[in-house]
Amino acid sequence: MKTARIIYEDGDHKWLAIVRDTSRPEFLIDTNEYLVTSDGDGMLLDPGGSEIFPAVFSALSTSFDPRCIGKIFSSHQDPDVISSLPMWLEFNPGIKCYLSWLWQGFVPHFAGEADTFVPIPDNGMEIPVGSRRLRAIAAHYLHSSGNFHLYDAGAGILFSGDVGAALLPRGEDGLFVEDFDRHIRHAEGFHRRWMGSDKAKNDWCARVSALDIDMLCPQHGAIYRGADVKRFIDWFSRLEIGVLKT
Amino acid sequence: MTNPRCSAEAGRELRRMVRINEGIKSVVSAAFKINLMAMNAIFLAKRAGQSALGFGVLSNELRSFAGDLQQQMAALREATSASVAAVTVLVKQSRVSRLLERAGVEAQGESKTLIQELLQLRAETRLAGSNQQMATLNRGLSHMIADTVQLVELGSVLARSAKIEAAYGGGFSVALMQVSSDFEKMIGEIRQSLESLSGTQEEDFVA
Repeated sequence: MKTARIIYEDGDHKWLAIVRDTSRPEFLIDTNEYLVTSDGDGMLLDPGGSEIFPAVFSALSTSFDPRCIGKIFSSHQDPDVISSLPMWLEFNPGIKCYLSWLWQGFVPHFAGEADTFVPIPDNGMEIPVGSRRLRAIAAHYLHSSGNFHLYDAGAGILFSGDVGAALLPRGEDGLFVEDFDRHIRHAEGFHRRWMGSDKAKNDWCARVSALDIDMLCPQHGAIYRGADVKRFIDWFSRLEIGVLKT
Repeated sequence: MTNPRCSAEAGRELRRMVRINEGIKSVVSAAFKINLMAMNAIFLAKRAGQSALGFGVLSNELRSFAGDLQQQMAALREATSASVAAVTVLVKQSRVSRLLERAGVEAQGESKTLIQELLQLRAETRLAGSNQQMATLNRGLSHMIADTVQLVELGSVLARSAKIEAAYGGGFSVALMQVSSDFEKMIGEIRQSLESLSGTQEEDFVA
């Protein structure tokens, strides 16, 4: 069973993290889902794989009416990111799914009609959620060739997809990173193998360093906050990536 | 319809389509051979002259029979392809229902009711629609197979008549008799394939 935790709240503007599925079978990778709400409008970020839909749905609906989810943001095309799309479309066939134009012909194999998808151009775009405007930040080749992160300047939150992800062992399941040096060991192998372009990595580090970020929220593992955000970006910029073995 | 049953039925349907396609392949192959044999028979009848005029006419008819059979098989193949597409939709719908049912178990309060309502609606509309479509497609397949059986009956009559005509073929009588026996044998093979095809359709199809 997953739980929905509020990680940011300012009036009607909220971020919920849906995390830690304790009943998840071992063979499925654990994922974090995030919900951004503003003025009754909701956007679900990387809604997850179809197999974990029941857990995400039940956790989410304790805090938000799932019928009010009008948008889905898909950082990239992986099944653990977006294969639950058919079930979300059952609740609201009018849901718009924002994702890289590159995957516009691929993700509909999961579900959706032509007008379900809003293609994000390579340099990103603004996405409205209620009265807020969030920014899709290019993160191509980190790891997918059509990849976006989502920045909410008002909340100071960057949803970073697979960047910052850590494969945590059972028992180390805190919502936030508490001990960076200890935590980052669980992220190192993942980043070395999954991130393939040094050039893309350095470019991303330079761009996000210029943003005002209080929380960096990955799709797997714990959330970086405060000084750990810069610590992570510095660590990532120094990391040798695109290697088969650590 | 429970989901495991739906998955099992879908698997059975797909295996049935594979068997039907195998049957279609053997009929198409036999029709191709009849076409070539009929062409040779027309030349032979021409060489035999006046005494084999009737045999020539029947050979022509057998050639068009082979063409009609090939067309019928193409239509049947299209129908099985539509059935496979319908089964695929059914499997996808079944998977969505299974996940929604699980969500319904885990959800609380209003969300639980929401899921139950959605499942009810899906059962009444989409799943019922998909099942109905499957039944319609299967009925169509059965009709097409029955039409093909009738067509092959016509082929049998033509082959038998060719055998009779061969007896009047004068000096070419033995050669013409051999060709007409080959026609009969080939059509017998087609009939066998069709019988097995009809069997596959009738045994497994539960409308």
